[in-house]
Amino acid sequence: MGKRYAMVIDLRKCVGCHACTVACKSENNVPLGVNRSWVEELETGKFPNVSRHRLPRLCNHCENPSCLNVCPVKATYQLEDGTVLVDYDRCIGCGYCIAACPYDARFINPERKTAEKCTYCHERVEVGLLPACVNTCIGGARFFGDLNDPNSEVSKLLATQAVTVSKPETNNRPQTYYIEADEKSLRPNLLKIVGGEN
Amino acid sequence: MLTVHFFDVPHEIYWGLLIALYFYYTGMSAGSFILTSLGTVFGIEKYKKVSKVGVIMAIVLLLFAPLHLLFDLSQPGRFINLFTHVHLTSAMSWGVYLLILYPVCLMIYAWFLFRQDFVKGLNQGGFKASLYRFLLFGKTDMSEASKENDKKQAKFFGTLGVPLALAVHGYTGFILGNVQARAIWHTPLMPIIFLMSAMVSGTGLFIIVVMLVEKFKFGRLNDDIKSLIADIANLMKWFIVVDGALMIIYFIVLWYGTETGYAAGYFLLHGEGWSFLGLENGLGMLVPFLILLSKKARHSLPAVVTASLLTIIGVLAMRINLVIGGQKLPLTGSKIIEYAASGRDIGIVIGIAVAAAVVLSFLYSVLPMNRSGAQEIKSTPTTKGVAQ
Repeated sequence: MGKRYAMVIDLRKCVGCHACTVACKSENNVPLGVNRSWVEELETGKFPNVSRHRLPRLCNHCENPSCLNVCPVKATYQLEDGTVLVDYDRCIGCGYCIAACPYDARFINPERKTAEKCTYCHERVEVGLLPACVNTCIGGARFFGDLNDPNSEVSKLLATQAVTVSKPETNNRPQTYYIEADEKSLRPNLLKIVGGEN
Repeated sequence: MLTVHFFDVPHEIYWGLLIALYFYYTGMSAGSFILTSLGTVFGIEKYKKVSKVGVIMAIVLLLFAPLHLLFDLSQPGRFINLFTHVHLTSAMSWGVYLLILYPVCLMIYAWFLFRQDFVKGLNQGGFKASLYRFLLFGKTDMSEASKENDKKQAKFFGTLGVPLALAVHGYTGFILGNVQARAIWHTPLMPIIFLMSAMVSGTGLFIIVVMLVEKFKFGRLNDDIKSLIADIANLMKWFIVVDGALMIIYFIVLWYGTETGYAAGYFLLHGEGWSFLGLENGLGMLVPFLILLSKKARHSLPAVVTASLLTIIGVLAMRINLVIGGQKLPLTGSKIIEYAASGRDIGIVIGIAVAAAVVLSFLYSVLPMNRSGAQEIKSTPTTKGVAQ
């Protein structure tokens, strides 16, 4: 069986230092104002009963990526190992994939003028290195590996921990798994945002 | 539970005014074409008088519509990739072929409608005659058999045009409807809502264009056209009824839907209230509907023009509310995503609108718009002396 890459993020170990965001920018030359990988932070409750939550976000490299399905020129494609990539020479920059991604993972690169997103640092993984965000994580919260290998770290974590994904209802079947993510961070509280709730 | 989001990154709305306007143009093209097909395809005699006006309008609107898309691409030079790479799961890829087939079919249809008038216009000399001679491609046969053939072919290509018109606008509904990430878009009603609102705005613009063409080509509005406009206004009333019913159904199901759907409905009522309730559904649908309810108003040109203009504005608001409003609700983070049209986009929109109006006026002025019951007024060519 071939490989199937996935990421597990253990939020008990995330300290909110944003080193992953910086490492991604630096590794992938991501221009200012756009991000392939970032961390949302929020606080819940009222003193003294409070808690703070973080949610690192990146492309979920979904099993059934809606960005791939809507691309009119097949510029977005998926490798055997699950990695979803964009052919920057073919992309016409129509923005349909950006509109269709439920995770805000995509953007138009203001310099290259094509759609772009996290690639799991494909060029690093190809030569046996870890993605830059995983490599740099100071708390050791990020795990990257092959789901088809039962001895990989990600397989072991999925087998032994309670995990959750963002927006499972979309049928994208996302492959970024979170350990102890707070429900309020996984999706925006839309009713509050539109003013229907205090 | 009190929740404070204190760190997030900004996101942008990528589908803005240009996309909304594209949907608006294709819609009015499909709407006006289906209206004119009532005469040539469905055999309702009185509508044949305006077939030629409608088909030219449908062609021009459709030729200008994709320019919005082209200017919206980040890599406009690569639009050719749309033809060389087909992707059947992408509604946008379907559209590429519809956007070619539909205008080609309309042009062939229009040619058969105009052919006999081209031949009749050959003897007047000047620019028009040369233009007609070129457009005839040598087919000057005026025998009865040939006239019968024109009629048959026009009916064939007109009939082919009806499903194409439905598809060319219906597919734009799929572009939005297929996106499950966005609650405002993700409904099976989207293609049919787009079609019905297109019928409304297409009819609105069609009424105004017919009036202008009649006025400038024939000097005045004849009684037969006045009564036809009252009939078309009556049709528009029913289009508004169906469109309004669809909007109500759409909204109710959205309201009783998922948490995201309910929030989206709440947003349409409150955040986008003045535009959704006021402009789109109040001024753009309810007011014209109330005007057209009265038989007296349907026979009054100012009332019909007012209703038409209101529907044109209302459907534009609907396209903007759906396309841009659908992206204002965030998918991650904690803030409504604001949109402001860039000066470049506004400039392009105005430029395309002016260019379409100029081309449309030019075509109406040079093409033979003769119809049963009205002959063009012969204007003396005033510029000829100057040129010599």
